Amino acid sequence: MPRARRIVLGGLALLALLAFPLVFTLPFPRHLMITIFLYAMLAQAWNLLAGYCGQISLGHAVFFGTGAYTSTILVNQLGVTPWAGMLVGAVLAIALSQAIGYPVFRLRGHYFAIATIAVGEIVQTLMINWDWAGGARGLFVPMKRPDSVVNFQFHDSKQTYYYIALGLLLLALWITRRTERSRTGYYFRAIREDQDAAASLGIPVTRYKQRAMALSAGLTALGGTFYAQYILFIDPESVLPLSLSILICLVAVLGGVGTLWGPVIGAAILVPLSEGTRIYLGGTGKALDLLIYGALIMLISVIQPGGIMALAQRGRRRTG
Amino acid sequence: MRGRLPAVTVEVLLQGVVSGLMMGFVYALIAAGLSLIFGLMEIVNFAHGEFLMLAMFATFWAWALWRLDPLVSLPLTAGVLFLLGIATYHGLIRWILAAPMLAQIFATFGLAIFLRSLAQALWGVDFHLVKDPWVQGRVSLGGLFIGLPQLVASVGALVAFVFLNWFIGRTETGLALQATAQDRQAASLMGIDTDRMFALGWGIGSACVGVAGALLAIFFYIFPDVGSTFALMAYVTVALGGFGNVPGTLAAGVVVGLVEVLGGLLIAPALKYVAVFLIYLVVVLWRPQGLFGRF
Amino acid sequence: MIYRVIALLSLASVLALTSQPALAQAPKEVVIGVLYPLSGPVAQVGIDSVNAVKLVTEMINSGGSSLNLPLGKTAGLPGLGGAKIRLVIVDHQGKPDVGQSEAERLITQEKVHALFGAYFSSVTATASQVAERYGVPFLNAESSSPGLTDRGFKWFFRTSPHDGHFSVAMFDFMKDLEKRRNLKIKTLGIMHEDTLFGVDSAKVQEELAKKYGYDVAVKMAYRAKTTNLEAEVGKLKASNPDVFLPTSYTSDAFLFVKTAKNLDYNPKLLIAQNAGWTDPTFLTEMGKDAEGHITRAPFSIDLANKKPMIKPVNELFKKLKDNPGGRDISDVPARAFTGFMTLADAINRAKSVTPEEVRKALAATNIPAEQLIMPWGGVKFDEKGQNTGVRAILLQVQKGAYATIYPFELAAADVVYPMPAWKDRK
Repeated sequence: MPRARRIVLGGLALLALLAFPLVFTLPFPRHLMITIFLYAMLAQAWNLLAGYCGQISLGHAVFFGTGAYTSTILVNQLGVTPWAGMLVGAVLAIALSQAIGYPVFRLRGHYFAIATIAVGEIVQTLMINWDWAGGARGLFVPMKRPDSVVNFQFHDSKQTYYYIALGLLLLALWITRRTERSRTGYYFRAIREDQDAAASLGIPVTRYKQRAMALSAGLTALGGTFYAQYILFIDPESVLPLSLSILICLVAVLGGVGTLWGPVIGAAILVPLSEGTRIYLGGTGKALDLLIYGALIMLISVIQPGGIMALAQRGRRRTG
Repeated sequence: MRGRLPAVTVEVLLQGVVSGLMMGFVYALIAAGLSLIFGLMEIVNFAHGEFLMLAMFATFWAWALWRLDPLVSLPLTAGVLFLLGIATYHGLIRWILAAPMLAQIFATFGLAIFLRSLAQALWGVDFHLVKDPWVQGRVSLGGLFIGLPQLVASVGALVAFVFLNWFIGRTETGLALQATAQDRQAASLMGIDTDRMFALGWGIGSACVGVAGALLAIFFYIFPDVGSTFALMAYVTVALGGFGNVPGTLAAGVVVGLVEVLGGLLIAPALKYVAVFLIYLVVVLWRPQGLFGRF
Repeated sequence: MIYRVIALLSLASVLALTSQPALAQAPKEVVIGVLYPLSGPVAQVGIDSVNAVKLVTEMINSGGSSLNLPLGKTAGLPGLGGAKIRLVIVDHQGKPDVGQSEAERLITQEKVHALFGAYFSSVTATASQVAERYGVPFLNAESSSPGLTDRGFKWFFRTSPHDGHFSVAMFDFMKDLEKRRNLKIKTLGIMHEDTLFGVDSAKVQEELAKKYGYDVAVKMAYRAKTTNLEAEVGKLKASNPDVFLPTSYTSDAFLFVKTAKNLDYNPKLLIAQNAGWTDPTFLTEMGKDAEGHITRAPFSIDLANKKPMIKPVNELFKKLKDNPGGRDISDVPARAFTGFMTLADAINRAKSVTPEEVRKALAATNIPAEQLIMPWGGVKFDEKGQNTGVRAILLQVQKGAYATIYPFELAAADVVYPMPAWKDRK
């Protein structure tokens, strides 16, 4: 597609997204879009590490939880605004990611993946048993009215949440785009393709893996704080479970890892599907929605492992 | 840490060692199937826990419908799982052999979700137990109590494990499997039908889990989610022993079983899984390919 | 090309989900949103509870019942000219964030007049927060975390006892047993699963232990849905408390009993916090192994001796078309039955579906004991929304069935103490 046309289409899409909450004023449509934005953003963050740099982490919920817990604890204990808590959370997540990466990046392939699962499980179990941080009971963010940006709580309407979520997604996209085109991105891809060859070319492999990890973790943590301020309740089961880590990957895989728009597409499909099947099929206790979910994931993996983006590219090449 | 925990006596510790050892053999058998499959085609079957669950259900239904004791229906269950493994290979895995690792992971993940929901849709969420199996009760050795079902399960797992190793190491088919695992191309040049080997690998790996499931069903409760609790232990066991190293999973299984119980006794029951995962991390950081793995 | 297809598909699905036609609300209809876990490991409890709610709805809508319940004699709600109740049932999958968004969707799109649910204390917490924000009545019939009513919400009402009440009953029982049988209880062992339910329960038990003068010899948390309780039972054997107090959901209760049997752990007295220990499958699957276990409960079928209405209600419950297994009404669905009846009664007395009217009617609720299937003193809410008429009972498994053993005035059987040791069971 010629560049000019792409820019125009992109601009229209952006306008449509900005105008969405003005047209759809009920909470549920907005909630749906917010959820799509959040998952797209988390998947994009994960994509940086796994898609571009080839390090498949199955424990990313750790960073999400770090963001959520940090800002919530700071709000509850020190009355600090969640925005500051968000930044602190991101910094902590980055620090944690470096601490994890240092030993774990020595591992490869499946060993690495299982090590990330192990780390995730350890953190979740520890948080369950850490009473000061809420333990299994979780933490509530007390409702504060009236709505205020400083308090990062909006109860009269979801509109502001919508724009913040959209903003976070755009941030993630921007960071990914810039990384994609930079030397860092080039190194990431080299590491992904063949780590040893990259090393022999003089690329400081571990340093760049850590860099990918830092970017990824920081972004994910931002999403965690958003979640905490949106739902106003967090516990280990909702912000640290393995199932969340898997879900984040799933979104990216469905759309296409290693691509800029893959995570967005993945979220745009998976979130309505998940909500729709639960609402229309879930009430019977027969888990029909999960059945369809599982079948779909299998189908995608088989038909087009490169995700939707790869399907698109294949189509384009054929007509091109 | 909260909670008041009394000091642990030698008796309690010894009991823990015995229990951990027995459970370890079961973990080893479950993990062996995984390791076998991985060794052949470098794919981790993330639906392994669900295969275990299906094996347990198969055992349960054989008992509920035809009054077959788990030990009697064991060969049947193993056979059913064998077929399931082959079907999975032909229906799903064959299509993703060349796909990136991520797609392979998610293919079997999707299968896991699918099977779990299918079980819930078909059989509901209730817990089921095989009542009055042939093997029940316990024996007392010294001050130690050994549940007979657990003993049978662990001995059974050990026997199956040894048999598996014999099969891989001593039979022609087993050697063909090994050859395929080591070098796919060379094996096919030697006239080995690699596609058939892969299917066979899946079949045998699943049959292992079938045996494990039948044995567990003697004393464990059965419900659609039961696989997930065992699966994590199995993945850690495989990775600990070294992906692709079947004999290695025995030692790894024992380690996991022991750490689980002893970690619970010595640190705190709430943290016993932390102990297991920490041991895993420590071991692979020292030896990135697992205790016995090859890269 | 494919981009466009995908964009269109996504847009279409988003629109399909979001543009629910605002249902023309027939004035003759009361819409109630019902939230329960209908998938996952505790789905059966959710299904049973939804069935109980459906039973109440059917009874009210069709009328002609001769039972002494607040409603059901005439068709529909007489205070609203015979208006019928319509349910909108959702599955929250046990997740607090799903509960929250579903509650909001029910209020803003399905336009429900009240919310009912949700079993898990964590989901009830977030869902009721939404109700509080929108000013919609939320009636909870079975979540047991005391914190839910401590929030001082205006729109939240709970008919069920909470863990505080249950635990007090357990400790009163221990004291009374000591007097009756002339024995001395000194040490307690507390074991709880590590979710909100277990943690809250253990906390209350620890506090009460101090108040009642018992020593907690061992207190431990364990990972819910664990595969192995050997370490835990090992510790229990080592410390050998006089009374063992477990808090577990179903799978862990099963595992515990089997492990205790294997390791020959024989507590003299075991008093459980309901949940897994009163799951209908517990008795059927455990058989003789369950003998002697005591559990707190708000309800038991054998109370039919003292509360004859239980029998016909149970018969109706068993015949429901969504209850193909003919399951008996058990603890949680019985509480759902009672809670939903309370809600309907309030709406009826309000003679309106305006939220504030319903709320006032709820606050003024006063259902006498004879109109309940629960062994309570009645339904009357305090200023925090907690029913003050609650009473917990204790059940013991005797000869394969639950027998009410406490309070002694309601008891159908005498307590078996100590619990039979494994080697003495036939």
